[in-house]
Parts: sequence; structure tokens; C-alpha cells
Amino acid sequence: MTATTADHDAHTPVPQQRGTARRLLLGPGWIRAVSIAALFGAIGFGIVVVLRWWGGWHPILDGQPLVLVSGLVAAPLGFLAGIGTFDYWTYYALGHPTRPEDHSSHGARSWRDYFRVNTDHKVIGVQYLVTTVIFFLIGGLLAMLMRAELARPGMQFFDTQTFNGLFSVHASLMIFLFVIPAFAGLANFAVPLMLGAADMAFPRLNALSFWLLPIAGLMMVLSFVVPGGAFACGWTGYAPLCSTHQPMGAIFFNQGVQWAGASSIMTALNFLVTIITMRAPGMTFWRMPLLVWANFTTSLLVVIATPFIAGSQFFSMFDHVMHTSFFDASNGGYPLGYQHIFWFYSHPAVYIMMLPGFGIMSEVIAVFSRKPIFGYRLMALSLMAIVVLGFSVWAHHMFVSGMASWLRVPMMVTTLLIAVPTGIKIFSWLATIWEGKLHFNTPFLFALGFLSMFVIGGLSGVMLGAVPIDIHVSDTYFIVAHIHYVLFGGSVFTIFAGMYYWFPKMTGRMYNETLGKLHFWLTFIGFNLTFFPMHLIGIEGMPRRVADYAPKFAGINMFISLASFGFGASVLVFLYNMITSWRHGPIAPSNPWRALTLEWQVSSPPPTFNFTEIPQVVGSPYEYGVPGAQHAILAPTRAHETEEAEVPVS
Amino acid sequence: MRRGPILALLGIGTLAGGIAAAVALFLPWLPPVASTQRARMDEVFWFVVVICIVIFAIVVAALVYSVLRFRAAPDDDSDGPPIHGHTGLEIVWTLVPTVLVTAIGIFSAIVLARNDALGSNPLRINVTAQQFAWSFTYPEAKNLTTGTLRLPINRSVLLTFTSKDVIHSFWVPEFGQKQDTVPGLHTTLHITPTRVGTYPVICTELCGLGHAVMRSTAIVMERGAFAKWLKSQTAATSSPSTAVSGAAVFKNNPCGSCHTLTAAGSTGKIGPDLDKLPQYAQEAGQPLEQFIHTSIVDPNAYVQKGYPKNVMPPFANLPKAQLDALVQYLIQSSKKG
Repeated sequence: MTATTADHDAHTPVPQQRGTARRLLLGPGWIRAVSIAALFGAIGFGIVVVLRWWGGWHPILDGQPLVLVSGLVAAPLGFLAGIGTFDYWTYYALGHPTRPEDHSSHGARSWRDYFRVNTDHKVIGVQYLVTTVIFFLIGGLLAMLMRAELARPGMQFFDTQTFNGLFSVHASLMIFLFVIPAFAGLANFAVPLMLGAADMAFPRLNALSFWLLPIAGLMMVLSFVVPGGAFACGWTGYAPLCSTHQPMGAIFFNQGVQWAGASSIMTALNFLVTIITMRAPGMTFWRMPLLVWANFTTSLLVVIATPFIAGSQFFSMFDHVMHTSFFDASNGGYPLGYQHIFWFYSHPAVYIMMLPGFGIMSEVIAVFSRKPIFGYRLMALSLMAIVVLGFSVWAHHMFVSGMASWLRVPMMVTTLLIAVPTGIKIFSWLATIWEGKLHFNTPFLFALGFLSMFVIGGLSGVMLGAVPIDIHVSDTYFIVAHIHYVLFGGSVFTIFAGMYYWFPKMTGRMYNETLGKLHFWLTFIGFNLTFFPMHLIGIEGMPRRVADYAPKFAGINMFISLASFGFGASVLVFLYNMITSWRHGPIAPSNPWRALTLEWQVSSPPPTFNFTEIPQVVGSPYEYGVPGAQHAILAPTRAHETEEAEVPVS
Repeated sequence: MRRGPILALLGIGTLAGGIAAAVALFLPWLPPVASTQRARMDEVFWFVVVICIVIFAIVVAALVYSVLRFRAAPDDDSDGPPIHGHTGLEIVWTLVPTVLVTAIGIFSAIVLARNDALGSNPLRINVTAQQFAWSFTYPEAKNLTTGTLRLPINRSVLLTFTSKDVIHSFWVPEFGQKQDTVPGLHTTLHITPTRVGTYPVICTELCGLGHAVMRSTAIVMERGAFAKWLKSQTAATSSPSTAVSGAAVFKNNPCGSCHTLTAAGSTGKIGPDLDKLPQYAQEAGQPLEQFIHTSIVDPNAYVQKGYPKNVMPPFANLPKAQLDALVQYLIQSSKKG
């Protein structure tokens, strides 16, 4: 942030116009956000009271519809309107003159610009990352509390309601508020630059997608303080436990998922349109960096699959609040229906949480091995293969659910086949590293950590694909181990790699390499000590999602808890490094990694509109070691001067 | 490739594979085998584990060798050789995994089909799951119902599950079989016990606040002992005496998994402590007998402070004789405690 400010020190501030007080109150911003949120909340409250009174029910006796309509739907909409995400569209809809070249909400000139609606993809990328890291910390803290309780059998610190809330909110935050949006944040920053575009296709939609996220996250965290406690039915929210047997916290989960899902869908549409229509001249699909390919395929998954989880959560919430019976068997509902709809999203969601990481890996591994990506086309095609196969495996989460038993073998075959494109990627990365000139900077360390950990997660995935093994270990700690090897050893390692890799480009400053390496080793060791023993206790007979367990698992659980505290503490090194480097790190050159992709050919941080002129792409982005090879031809860099000239004067 | 790298790769691969194999063999991964289904599952398990160890060893060998061998000097700004791919290699690492996973798929499908096949003359047992307890009914023995699952050795058993409230899941690790119980569905599971012993019955699907304590026991008996037990139980249910019957009702219903009652030896902590019933009744301002009766058939009528509502299912369907016996039993036990 400071670096950006420094760049703009010479820039004359926008002259203050008349009616400053009026603008402060009525212009887009936090004051208006709070007041309109309160107003909308009150209107929502009023509508429910009037309708209930009219329908002959007691107007306020039942808190759930009131909280739902006023707190979880109307107030967030008011917040979005107040903070200013709809302003431009409202002008347009009301017939006011629009300002086609209005860039007043674009780019960051001071730290304040990160706290308002901003349409610059680079600012939005940073907003995403900071927000998601905050939810990562909260989610991690919940995990620490959980491990404290699990250190010994029996109940020590929490009652079961709180404990079940801890693991439910932990998983929901990590999935919906960290892994998925952190990838969206990294891609938001990198993809338009890599394509040679000035911004995303729909910058205002992009801003709206971001502002939905804090709403979703806050809803899940706040569910701890509502009467009855947080939703305690797991992040999977299986019906009928979640739809009819939960306190009010359950609807905070249902609605939180809706807001996060809406954000996801809008971002994915934006990526698809951007990637299809805004590639620089010469940037054919076969010349796109694999990060762009990865986000293209991820966006396809998001757009097709996310509406299914929206549906499942609406049905579940209707059962809860309006006493419908979609999943209530005693009134003709079908509980397994929930699982089918839920997993039709949530299995592809595993790839939504993996493919962008694959993209980051391809960038980092090629750059730090100084070699072209091995088998580029097969790498891109295997992403597409995963997308297609990803939609045909959902019921492997349901081998013991009681669904039609013939469905198990075909789902097993497709599940096992996904190992093939995934294997292609692993082997191609290894071949890329082979005979390279390896530079062990922090991003590359995390990439190597990813390769080794993801192989373990992938292999335990193959074990789970085999139905007889799955029947034995499903819903045990083996599953907990597997998903953490895939989602932490896989996804989170790639997120860390990406954050270190693009840190110089985002902030204009270098991070501390020694601290980065220390962070990697603490994470790598702590992670394995925490999660590897979970395979063992799972196979031996410890179910997951329990606060209390058989005494024979006491020793190993104490070990896991102690390891997890060390593992959790490693995040502090990361935080310290990021914060101090952002403020005082050495100024970063435009291309510290000597990478070929386009984002490294402009200044760090890039000018507000990325490129002086749209570049002409002439070759592959991975031609390391090829004499005279070029990825793109750029206009001569006069970044600082052009930036000054391009800043619009309103 | 020269011979040096191949030898080094083999060496690292063998070491990695050896360590993985040692972890697989020397740690007690799998609980004892107590059914034919588990024995077959173990075959698939070890088949897949061997494949996994080989793949893991190959990846680790390539990775570790590269890290040791291809490190660039700090001042080396040159690039590696511009190798863009190798069609032969790419075909190999597409086809070999395809063959391996196909083999796993075929093996698994065969085992699954055999595990699903029911033997002749199966013992049928109806299993009812509810928050937070299991009950097992033997239709062959005048619908005898118990809280503990007793099975004869070497006889095919067909379990049919129903759930009264939410989804639960029945798992006995030593049997290697698991099945969810779904409200509105009758799901089934086949088990052929092969080893006499006592094993835990574990609920593995999150079913609410008492999920962790939703446990029971499966006892595999010699066939003669089983027949004898079945006969004695059938006889016992037809001649109840009040005091004994109250304790039996408490035991055969899930009370103990959530409530502490010293007289019954139960230590559940999900619901209120039943040793303190007289004190609770006083706080509720009701006579003890009426208070206990109402709390069983309509638990939400009065919820003790500090405990959530809607957790205890109503037991309004208990036969009157059993209900009265249970109430008397609780009055006597709590006054003692």
C-alpha cells in the first residue's frame, strides 16, 4: 500500500467539492452503508411483522423469519447499496447521464481506497487476499480450539453444541471464505495482466463480487452469538439434521453459502468473458499461460455447479424456516436428495479448490526451474478432462448412504479415472524440474511441498475411490487426513506459493526470503506431524466429528494436538513477513524472477491501466532456454510518466 | 540417460518405498478381522497400498534427485535445456496409471459384489437408530429387542436399518462394513462374523449433540451360546417384576448414552444428571413422579436450565407398564443417589 502511495505522492489530490458533509453522509461509503443497512433491515423486519399479522400468526414470536428476512437478506442488500456497489447501475436504470470514461473509483492512491468500492482488478485482488487471510486466521483459531478439546478424551473446555459449531464453522470458513476466494483473489490480480488486458471485462461486477464475501464470512462467524449457538451439523449440512434439528445458527450457514456462492458465480462469469474476449492480439488459447487455462476451467466448473449448492441450501432453509418438507421423510421428503444435490456441487468444488492451484504451480515451477512447461498442451487438456470427469463422480461421497447400490461401481470407475489426468500433471511437473536450473526461493519451496503432499493426498484419494475401502473408512479420521492433504497440502500450499510469488508485483516490495523459508519448513513439518497420524486412527476406528473418543486413541490425539499448535503458530511467521515487508521491504524490481509472462513486463506495482499500449503476443509464455524467443512485444516502458498522464481528472 | 542417474534414482526410490512400506507394515493400521467381508476388504486395501507405495517411491525419487542434482549456483542466471515434451513419455504416464486404476476398479467391483451376496438362511435383525442409541430387534425371537447386538459366529446376518429422526451410520471396524440409516428408507447390510469377541458399534454420521456417545457393542458368540442366550431372553421378557423391569427399560432404551444415573452405571453428559431429579423437580415446582413422567413423554415441556431444547426425543410410545416401571425406577434410584 505504501509503495502505491509513494508512486502517487506527486499527484495532485482530487479537489474537494462543495457540500463535503452532504457527500460524506449520502455519497457511497461506510456511513451510508451502515445507515442503509439499518434502514433495509428495518423494512425487512416490518414486512415480516405485517405479513405474519395479516396471516393470523403471532407477528414476532417466531424469531427465525425475522432474523432471516431482516438480518440475512435485507440488511446485507442495504449494506451493498450503501457502500456503493449499485450506484452506477442505479444511475443508468433511472436514466441519469452515465459517464462512460468515469474512472473515479479505479485504482488505489492511498490505503483508504482499499476500503471502498474499487473497480481496479489489482485493488480487488488485494482486497480479496487480505479478507480471505483474515478468515483463514479465524478458521485456524477455531481449529486450535478444536484440537485443545481433542487433546484428551472426555469433555474439557466446550459443550458438544459449541464443539460441533467449531468444526462446522472452521470448515465452512476455510472452504467458502478462504480457499475458493483466495484463488479468486490471486487470479483477479494476475489473469488480466497475463492476458494483456487493461482490466476484467466487467469491473463493477467484479467489485460487487468482492463485497459479497465479507457478508458471507461475517454471517458464518456471527452464528456463534445467536441464541442456540452456531450451526452444528458440519459444513456438509446434511438433511434432516441441518434442516429440522438445528438452532437458528443453521440459517446463518444456509444464507452465508448463498452470498459466497453468488460472489463465486459472478467472478467466474467475469473470468470467462475476460478470457474469451479480452486476450491481447496474438494471445491464442494455445499461448495462454496455464494459470489462465486453470482459471478458465475453474470458472466453467463454478458457473455450472454452484447453482446446485444454492438450491440445496434454499430447500434446507425452507424446511427449517417455513416448515416445508423437501427433506423431511415423515412428510414425504427425501433426505438423500439433499446429498445428491449438495455433492453435485461439492465434488466439482474440490476441483474449484484445486485447478487454480495447478495453474499457480505451472507458473512457479517453470519460472524457478528455468525450463519450459513439459507437455504444455497435455497440461491444458488434462484440466479440461478433470472438468468433464469432475461432474460424473459426485456419488463417491455416498457409497454408504443407502443410495441405489448399482450407482456405486460406475461412480468408482469415474473416480479412479480422474487419477489419470491428475497423474499427467504431477509427472509433467516432475519432468519440468528435471535437468532444470532450480532456484529455491520460497514460492518454489511451496511448489515442491505441494508436489510431495498432493501425491499423498491423491493416493489416499485412490484408496477412497475403491468402494470396499471407502465403506470401511468413510466418515472416519482417514477422511479428515485425506481432505487436509488435498486441501492444505494441495490448495493452501499453492496459495502460499502464489502469495509469495506475486507479492513483489502486488506491493512493489520484496518479502523477506529467510522468513519465507522458515515459514515453509515450519508449515511443512507441522502439517505432516498433525495430519499424517490421522490416517492411522481413522483406519483403526475413530470416527470424525466427535468431541469425545475411545481412550485407546488418547496418546495419538495428544500428539496431534501438540503438533497442531506448532503448525498453527507457523502462520505468525507468514503474517509478520507479509506485514513488515509490505511496509518496509526493499523496493521490488519489475521482474525479480526473470519470468516471461506479461504481468512481469510492467512495473511493480503495475500502472493503473496495466499497459501503455495493449501488447502484441508472438509466442509461448514458457520459452525458457530458447535463444531469441519472445512471448510478447510491449510498447517502450515509460510506466511512471504514462501512469501520471492516464489518471483521470474529474 | 547415463547409468549414474538411474542408479541414484533407484537408490532413492528404494529408500522412499522402503520407508513407506515399513510405515505400512509395522504400524498397526487395521483393527482385527472379525468377518468375511472385512477379510476381503483387507485384500483390496493391501493391493491398493502396494500400488500407492510404488507410485509414491517413483515421485519421491524424481523429486529428491532433482533437488539434489539440479540446484542452480547462486550466480547462475542461465536457463535449463528447452525441452518442450516427449510424446513417448506422455503416453506412458497416461496409459500406465489407466491400467493400474482399471485393475483397482475391477478388483474392487468383484469384492463389492461378493460382499453384497447374502449367504443361505441368514439371521435377520432389524436395527433402529435414534438420537443417540441403537436398538436391535430379532424377528425370529418374538421381536426380542436389545441395546446390544449379539451375533452367532459363521452365520450370514442381514441387518435392516431404519431411523427415527436423522441420518446415522452403523459401523463396526472389525466387520469392515458400514451403512447409513436414513429416515424413510430401509437400508441393509450383510455381515458374516468369523471371530468370537466383543466389538464397538460406532455411529459415524454426525447426528447431533450426542453423536460421539452413540455407541453400542457387538458380541459375536459361539452358535450354541447364542441359541441359549436367545432362548433365555425370550423367556425373561414374558415374566417381568417391577423393579427389575424398570432397570431393564432404562437399559434397553437409549437413556444412559445421554444421562448420568449412578444406579445404572451410566455417565452420559448430554442431558441433565438423573441423580439430581428431586432437585430439578423442586426447581420446576412439580411433584417428582409427575415431573419425571412428563419429562419422558414430552421433554420440551420443561427443559432444565443450561441444557438445550429439542435434543431429547419424546418417548411417548413406551407401553404404559414399561413407562410406569421406568418412572418408579428413576424415583428410587435418584433418591438413593
